[in-house]
Amino acid sequence: MIANAAEIRKFTILSWGWLTIIFGLVWAVSWLVGVAIPLLLANVQADWARLVTEICQVLTPLVAVMVFIPINAMFMVLAERRALALFTVRKGPNRVGPDGFLQTLADALKLLFKEDITPRGADAFMFTLAPIIFFAPSIFGALPLLAAVTNNHNLFQVVNLPTGIFYVLAVSSVPVVGIVMGGWASNNKYSLVGALRSAAQAISYEIPLVLSIITVCLMAGTLDVVKIAEMQKGGLLNWNILGGGALSGLNKYFQALAAGQADAHQMLSQYYPDWGSVIATVVLIACTVLLVGIYLTGACAEINRIPFDLPEAESELVSGYNTEYSGIKFAIFFLAEFTNLFIVSTIATVMFLGGGDCPLPDWLNPLTNPAVTQPVGKFFSFFTDRIHLIDPSTFFPAIWVIIKVYALVFFAILVRGTLPRFRIDQLMAFGWKRLVPLSLIIFVLVTFAKGAVRLHV
Amino acid sequence: MATEIKSDRLKTDEMIINMGPQHPATHGVLRLILKLDGEIVRHVEPVLGHLHRAQEWQGQNRTWFQYQALIDRVDYLSGMFTSWALARASEHVDGTEVPERAEYLRVLASELNRISSHLLWLGTYLIDLGALYGFPFYPFREREKILTFLEEISGQRMMFNYIRIGGVQRDPKADWFKRVEAFTKEFPERVNEYEAIVTENPIFLDRTTGVGVLPKSLAMEYGVTGPSLRASGINYDLRRFKPYSVYDKLKFDVITFDKDGDTRDRYLARVREMRQSNEIIKQVIDMIPQGDIMAKTKKQNAGLRVKAGEGFAAVESPRGVLGCYVVSNGSDKPYRFRWRNPSFSNLSVLPPLLIDRPIADVMAIFGSLDIILPDVDR
Amino acid sequence: MTTETSQGKPAENPPTTGPFGQFLKDHGINSSPLPASSGVETLEVDSKDLTAALRLLRNSAEVALDFLVTVSGVDSPDTFDSVYHLWSYSNKNELVIKVRIAKATVKADYLPEVPSVAPIWQAANWHERETFDLVGIRYLGHPYLRRILNPWDWEGHPLRRDYRQPVDALNDKSPGSFR
Repeated sequence: MIANAAEIRKFTILSWGWLTIIFGLVWAVSWLVGVAIPLLLANVQADWARLVTEICQVLTPLVAVMVFIPINAMFMVLAERRALALFTVRKGPNRVGPDGFLQTLADALKLLFKEDITPRGADAFMFTLAPIIFFAPSIFGALPLLAAVTNNHNLFQVVNLPTGIFYVLAVSSVPVVGIVMGGWASNNKYSLVGALRSAAQAISYEIPLVLSIITVCLMAGTLDVVKIAEMQKGGLLNWNILGGGALSGLNKYFQALAAGQADAHQMLSQYYPDWGSVIATVVLIACTVLLVGIYLTGACAEINRIPFDLPEAESELVSGYNTEYSGIKFAIFFLAEFTNLFIVSTIATVMFLGGGDCPLPDWLNPLTNPAVTQPVGKFFSFFTDRIHLIDPSTFFPAIWVIIKVYALVFFAILVRGTLPRFRIDQLMAFGWKRLVPLSLIIFVLVTFAKGAVRLHV
Repeated sequence: MATEIKSDRLKTDEMIINMGPQHPATHGVLRLILKLDGEIVRHVEPVLGHLHRAQEWQGQNRTWFQYQALIDRVDYLSGMFTSWALARASEHVDGTEVPERAEYLRVLASELNRISSHLLWLGTYLIDLGALYGFPFYPFREREKILTFLEEISGQRMMFNYIRIGGVQRDPKADWFKRVEAFTKEFPERVNEYEAIVTENPIFLDRTTGVGVLPKSLAMEYGVTGPSLRASGINYDLRRFKPYSVYDKLKFDVITFDKDGDTRDRYLARVREMRQSNEIIKQVIDMIPQGDIMAKTKKQNAGLRVKAGEGFAAVESPRGVLGCYVVSNGSDKPYRFRWRNPSFSNLSVLPPLLIDRPIADVMAIFGSLDIILPDVDR
Repeated sequence: MTTETSQGKPAENPPTTGPFGQFLKDHGINSSPLPASSGVETLEVDSKDLTAALRLLRNSAEVALDFLVTVSGVDSPDTFDSVYHLWSYSNKNELVIKVRIAKATVKADYLPEVPSVAPIWQAANWHERETFDLVGIRYLGHPYLRRILNPWDWEGHPLRRDYRQPVDALNDKSPGSFR
């Protein structure tokens, strides 16, 4: 039936294999640093033990991110190559390790051992600094999201900020400085043109991107990513992508209906008292669906992916701002690009797709049914209660986050496999004449519609 | 005084960029010296010759038989046509009658080759527009099949050396025609697939509509030929205009557009030409007669001679009028070869098309002209 | 069939004036017919008449030879030929025009000189540059007569029959050589 079913199967196995390794490692490291060492030291009554415990707990998020980013980028590069091969009736890398499993590991090793060239006439200090400035924000910017994607787990609460999303957006606009720096320092005209393009593009597309996020924050009434994620709990109808919580009344109504409550209809009229609120709900749904589109477009432009990959437009500028880079510096650029893709997908997941929430409402979800959870919980009690290896309240949300984030990543790969590239003037026109007005209009619409309906009841 | 200083500081310089010869998108080794004002191209100078292999000089220093095998390299994507131009010019000078079956086989092989050449152009053109990873591999799927067909009759996938002076190299087996016919039946469906992805794609439309408009007068002034010329609205196809071989017996229309052609028209012209070639192949398979494939007077070995005289013959290659001017003095080596390469003439129109366009359009326009650099530099 | 072009022998039957030769004559331009080049009328035009003749042939509505297919240079035994193949975009006319510069008239260390037709046809621009590069015919009035296929500092004109390669590309051991 499907022509390349065998290839799809291989790709699936490969993806799940890599994901297991990535998150198994992150999990193990976080547990080791954040739980196991403090547990061992729990009975030691000494100042140094308390100090070590505190340091361990503070370090946990950082260590988790540091372990996660390189191997995740490796997986994403491999997944992208294999997926593009799938779309284009090829096989993709399939030689290194079982079925190409270790291809990017080999590539990464090769890049590490390559000669690190600084071109003649380049500003060596800036040239070296550029990839670092490009890469550092992807580590620090990701930290506040950790608590949101792990259902506010104790270990990661330290990095949560009350102004979380604001911080993430602020940090995510730093990498363009790295690009301009690298392009200028390379002493190469292609790099320079690419860097300036990147600056223009980042400034233009930051506005719709931030406006779309701000609109969501406006609906949620908070900048705290953990709170925004928590608000959306309770199934697909509660997610921000469908009206930013305007449908949560409907959700409640369905729940009551399923439970067989007699006053269910009354409930509906309580949440949606008049036509105004119904219209406002419809408007909100339309707005939020558009917002997701605006966000994804802006994010694509922000991280320089096709169709907005003008800064490194291969057929025009050779490789744009990273033309002159090689070896480890190029590897860092490469790593950061894929990490950025992961981070914007995570932001979209937290802000729009309910974070770690299961799409099914609680009353339909077998995993929250006590008849299922209690025996299973008893079976795993040694891991959950004694050594705290598994925290069920984090485990399932984390799996949902992984599924959602990588679905968005896959979508970005699909776009990359389909579309040609914009021209710079068309890119600017699209940004300033379409996206910015649209996001402003949506912002105003949401401001008014929000008053007529209760969100996240 | 203050304003003077200000204006002095705001002064911007033009930047000179060497695009190529090592550049991912110059289809080989073209070098364009671009003078840029920001992103806008203000001056272009193409520098040729990085792939110059002295094909004409080699023609004077090889025997006719040796040179026949060499000449496919001039345009490596459509080797049939260079062989054919050489064969036609030499036969003109020589007065050789080519058997009818050989003529049909030449048309068949050449039209297959035309499709494969356009398919490769289609894939690489989308790369030029920035669709680096997705679409470009689809045309290669069909191209592989065509190259396999051509390999079966000539023993080579690219440098065919199939069309010889006096006929063709060998007769395909009977089931070869059946397989080609089966391919022609499924091929239009494949072209529909490409068109579904590309033709109405909004970004593709943005990038191509109104870009690189080639007015009729400019095209005629620069001697542009082939699909690029027909997309500009000039009804000029050698196969129809001065029918050679058996093209006067085949039914097909010349694909023209009724306005000045832009990049998108050139794309459409090539896509339609693929469908048209497919129809021609179907007709040829129906009509092909039995008989000899090589003129009796021409032996295919070092003793191959062409009578003294001179002549010019041209064929309609995928890129335009591919001409060959032969001067023979009756010895074992040609006296003078002169190639009229379509890419050479088509490339000369590039500078006027690029002036005042953004740098992103350089590759969009250059790609749409379908230049093969070995064909330019020879 | 033997021709004068390459053999240097006189043709057996002197060629007769064709329609285009007659057309040029009617407009006061002298041309002498040459043996037909595989069936196409071939005219020899004096180099000083060339520009006028081509301009006339291109612009007249009845002839409309407006497609300059190629400009070729041939190093014939006695002459340097600059050959123009003219076609038409609107009708099936074909014509070959040759300008022949006798080798005896070319001074040593000078190139044979032919007026450029690049002002009439942009198409001739690169073809004439190539002919200059490979055969060594100087086109007077060309806007940018510079080598096109060979490197800009190449010596000699490779398609001359007496050309000898200045550098042995395969066995050049000189470290300063870039070839």
